[in-house]
Amino acid sequence: MSETRQYGELATQLVLESRRSTQTDILLKYNDALVRSIIREQRDLEKAAEPLALLDGPPAPALIVIETAINRNKRCLLAYHTHRTDRLRDMYWAVGGALPHILSNQELRGRLSPHEVDFLREYHASIMDFRSDFSDELDIMASITQPPKDLHALVQVVRDCGWIQTELGNINFRKGERFMVRRADIEHLIVQGYLEEV
Amino acid sequence: MNWDEEYDLIAAKGAAANHFIGRARNALPDDDDFEISPLPGPGPSAQPAAVPLGLLLPTEDETPLQQLIRHWTNERNCPDILPAQEELLVTILDHIRRQSQTVQLLREDASTSEDEHVRIMLAQTEMERVKFIVRSYIRTRHYKIDRYARFITTNAELQRRLTGGEREHASRYANILDRHLFKCVLQSLPPAQAHLDDTAAFVPSMITQPDKTRPVFVHALQDCPRVRLPDGTALEMRKGHISLVPYHVIENLVARGEVELV
Repeated sequence: MSETRQYGELATQLVLESRRSTQTDILLKYNDALVRSIIREQRDLEKAAEPLALLDGPPAPALIVIETAINRNKRCLLAYHTHRTDRLRDMYWAVGGALPHILSNQELRGRLSPHEVDFLREYHASIMDFRSDFSDELDIMASITQPPKDLHALVQVVRDCGWIQTELGNINFRKGERFMVRRADIEHLIVQGYLEEV
Repeated sequence: MNWDEEYDLIAAKGAAANHFIGRARNALPDDDDFEISPLPGPGPSAQPAAVPLGLLLPTEDETPLQQLIRHWTNERNCPDILPAQEELLVTILDHIRRQSQTVQLLREDASTSEDEHVRIMLAQTEMERVKFIVRSYIRTRHYKIDRYARFITTNAELQRRLTGGEREHASRYANILDRHLFKCVLQSLPPAQAHLDDTAAFVPSMITQPDKTRPVFVHALQDCPRVRLPDGTALEMRKGHISLVPYHVIENLVARGEVELV
């Protein structure tokens, strides 16, 4: 990389990644290398600012430029991470709060940083606490995209999901089979992609 | 007055409309087919306890479900977090619980006829639909709470609008996010930069706040007092009037229930 880089150039790249992620609606891989180089830039800037800050009189223009760069870089870093946590939260809700479902997806897991996995775990714990405030009648994790039109749904099994307790007793859902079951019993399996409505 | 009488009242007014909202608004009393057949054994009382409706209804002839739907659309369209409707939710959830118990009893009863089974199914479907609205309402609030968690922890007025559970989650989440950002970024920065509450000049605040200048569609439920628009002119809305205005202009009208957001 050329040494004549402008202040804040790396941070712009980082924010650009967030932007791409929004536009393509994909969570990109956590860019550890870039985050580290920006943090290194921050330390260098801080070092450069120190002697300037000790000078008497009104702040030197150089100091103001550096401070501005520091502030901007920091905001870009935070924005990048917050953007990712927002996406993680959306993802979490999209699968109905099935955390193991997200974490067992190797491809997805590869894109997360270890801290982000921790974040998801802690978020999940907090949601579970919140959920327990509601009675069994109401599962706040269930889908809210389509209002229910029928009590029952005809579903096709896309992936094996083993024995599931339903209104009709226990059913072994095996790939390729079709069932007419109570929607409330299997809603979460549709959300997680085990079943498909026919 | 109990739910059945209330239903008769509405039916008499011919309020049933064909579209979803209209149907859902009239739905809750519909569920109350309590007199389908006598309950076997000493089950829970089939007749719901008479609810003192006077307590629930700010405006007459608005059922709890109609209120719920109003609060739900308001919440969904509002950039800010509105006061929690805990009492209303408790009423509705209790009602649903009583009904599912009744439905359970009737379904297990062999003497229930085919015709009644159809009616039970309708009642169950309607219950699922009401639950959907409750769920959507809670999740909408929850989404905003996550989004503004750090702002909520610093704002006492906003905290008063949340339920206990929501408040706890907000502070937990603000903590989780703080810690996450600290671990990812701040701890590696020089100490002078490792704060989350910078107030640098010309830079937006680090705490995400609800954007009250966002325009909303507002529908006047009654004649409203004059409000002042940002350009200085006044707007007086008559009953039924619909306009597009920045949220902060009509914030108080929403709080007093004189308008609804659509």
